[in-house]
Amino acid sequence: MNKLLLKLAIAAATGSLLSSNPTVAQLSPTTPKAARVRITQGPELELAKEYLTIIRWTTNNPGGSPEHFGVVHYGTDPKNLSQTAKSPIRLNPSHSSTIFRVRLQALKPATTYYYTVDSMESNGKSDGVISPVKKFTTP
Amino acid sequence: MRERRLTALVILCATVAATLLISTQLISAQNGVGQEGKKGDRDEPPPFYNPYPPGILPSDLTQEIERVRREVRSIENEALAQWQALTPPTLTGQPPTLANTGMKANQLLGKLMNFDEHMSPFENRACGFCHMPYAGFSGPIPSVNLTMIAYPGSFQFRAGKRTAQRYTYSPNFPVLNFNAAQGAFFGGNFWDSRATGYLLGSPDAEQAQHPPVDTQEHALPDTACIAFRLQTAAYRPLFEQVWGAGSLDIKFPHNTEEICETPGGAAVFGTNTMPIRLSPEDRIKANNVFDHWGESLDQYEASPDVSAFSSKFDAFLADPGDNPLSLDEMAGYNLFRGKANCNSCHLDGRSTAPTPPTGTAPNGEDTGAAANARPLFTCFGSSNLGLPLNPRDAFFYQTTPDFFGFTANPYGFGYRDLGLGQFLRSGFGSAPSPNSDWTPQAPTNDGLMQTSTARNVAMTPSKCPTTEAPGPYFQKEFFHNGYIKSLKQLVHFYNTRDVYPFDVTSGHCPSGTIEKVTCWPKPEVPNNMDMTIGKLGLSDAEENQIVAFLQTLTDGFTTPYPDINSYTGQCQTGGSAATQGNESLILTPALPPCPSAVCGVSPFPNPPIQ
Repeated sequence: MNKLLLKLAIAAATGSLLSSNPTVAQLSPTTPKAARVRITQGPELELAKEYLTIIRWTTNNPGGSPEHFGVVHYGTDPKNLSQTAKSPIRLNPSHSSTIFRVRLQALKPATTYYYTVDSMESNGKSDGVISPVKKFTTP
Repeated sequence: MRERRLTALVILCATVAATLLISTQLISAQNGVGQEGKKGDRDEPPPFYNPYPPGILPSDLTQEIERVRREVRSIENEALAQWQALTPPTLTGQPPTLANTGMKANQLLGKLMNFDEHMSPFENRACGFCHMPYAGFSGPIPSVNLTMIAYPGSFQFRAGKRTAQRYTYSPNFPVLNFNAAQGAFFGGNFWDSRATGYLLGSPDAEQAQHPPVDTQEHALPDTACIAFRLQTAAYRPLFEQVWGAGSLDIKFPHNTEEICETPGGAAVFGTNTMPIRLSPEDRIKANNVFDHWGESLDQYEASPDVSAFSSKFDAFLADPGDNPLSLDEMAGYNLFRGKANCNSCHLDGRSTAPTPPTGTAPNGEDTGAAANARPLFTCFGSSNLGLPLNPRDAFFYQTTPDFFGFTANPYGFGYRDLGLGQFLRSGFGSAPSPNSDWTPQAPTNDGLMQTSTARNVAMTPSKCPTTEAPGPYFQKEFFHNGYIKSLKQLVHFYNTRDVYPFDVTSGHCPSGTIEKVTCWPKPEVPNNMDMTIGKLGLSDAEENQIVAFLQTLTDGFTTPYPDINSYTGQCQTGGSAATQGNESLILTPALPPCPSAVCGVSPFPNPPIQ
């Protein structure tokens, strides 16, 4: 019991020391990465216009750096997804899920594209998301 | 005979041309209110610079400039009286400290500098001219906020390229740094973070050093002009009290006034940024004075006079029982940190304890404790929200040389505002970066602009109590290019940017749509667009609740905000917040390709910007 109190006191003191620095307190924390980042919804087409396509999916919160990228690997050959689109988003550490959305521009009209999705921290470290190959056709 | 006739014709033409030129200048000079030459050898004020097509400058601009100048002088006089009433501090201790009232003295010195019109070539522009208290220390002229968005500088009508950022809480931004763990830049001041704080340790102090020598703002041609003008300032004794006796004892050459009354960028200066010839010792002194100028202004901006932490939300945080938010405000706050996810960047300082894995975003559990009792509602970072190009931005029109041979923007509508990326390249329209290690990061920062604090986004003069139509309201401008004209539009943009995207520029939304309501023109810079926002799924009522919450972040609730009543202009009325300002939309011209001087500087934007 006493040990527990001591631990709590140390934790409280550490917390107050950290929060005394306004800069530290103001930045979003880098949170522990999820054991396994899994897609809970999607990926799916959010928008398909002549000049803009948006792919969207939801995962459990991957943690790590709040600065993240949604990544879409795509192409017209399902066996050769040679093109990549990335869009930045900010994780909200206090939210338990994260919605990733990626913009694809300058696509050919009336063309079927195949794609898979992933996400990564802004330093390039992948979240290890695995998604099936899906497809969509541009207007 | 023919030769004589030809000579006579040439003389006649030359005479007519000269007469026309002189008379044009005189006519312009007669209109030159606020641009009068007071000292030195200047006989006539130079003609106004007006490269703008009809309708770009607001029709009440001259009157409004004079109105703000009167307000600026009034606050300056108030500050002089406050200084006279201040018990002088006592220099004592080791290290020597200005005991008791030293901090107040330094803050007052900053206030006196902030509202000093003499700090410009034509002695008509103070910092406060673009940063008035009643607008949260941002732009004070409703018609400018509605149209040209950038404020006219000392040499009228040169103007900058972006909106005037609020001072409030700008001193809290850290020195610009690249955070490897987060893979992003944090800190700095200005929309493009170009005031880094690398030398003075304070981005805010360094921010205060830029406008006085910015060609389109105060436009002093040499930083030493600040020390020169301070030598004759009424508050010189206060400067010397704070920064040391003798600190302003600099021997200036006889032509200094002539130099300081010529705006920077004038062809006569060439590339010389230090045209005042000083001895090495005096140049060091003048540099120190220039640093102290920034440091005292920073202390003013950090003081409760500016960054007050006196909002309704602060009162709520301190004691929610005694100071509850209204139902709409509370609903807005829950949306702000839940469904709308605003606090992923505009950090609200609440507990960020891990939420149960079964939770969802809107229901994420808040432990209730404030991790930061004074949240600043910014992450100090930057993002590209994808705002459309604003064709009313005065910068696009300054394509021809002015009287002094200066051209602000030779690229016209070819210019694109790449924000932080352009600064990292030391590119056109920004400032030299002090750290070349950052340069390779430019392509991933193209289009990024600083995340402003949400505090005081809704601040207006007391007599016009809202930013929102039908009012009575005070017309503000939002984001770096002022495209957004109300908080309703601001929230609607975050909510629906990707619901109503159109491959058009502003003014060209398809028939059947309403710009800013059911049509968002394409972004000025498509690279690195933030996708945290764009389709939040908020209802119209939920958007309004977030606006109601934003209005709780305005200082002056627990204690009166200083100088909030200094506005002497008119309020606006009528219309609706959703379409506020739409009557002033103009057609964006066909955009020429972005020139290599802007979009072709290594490391290149990726993908290339058209």
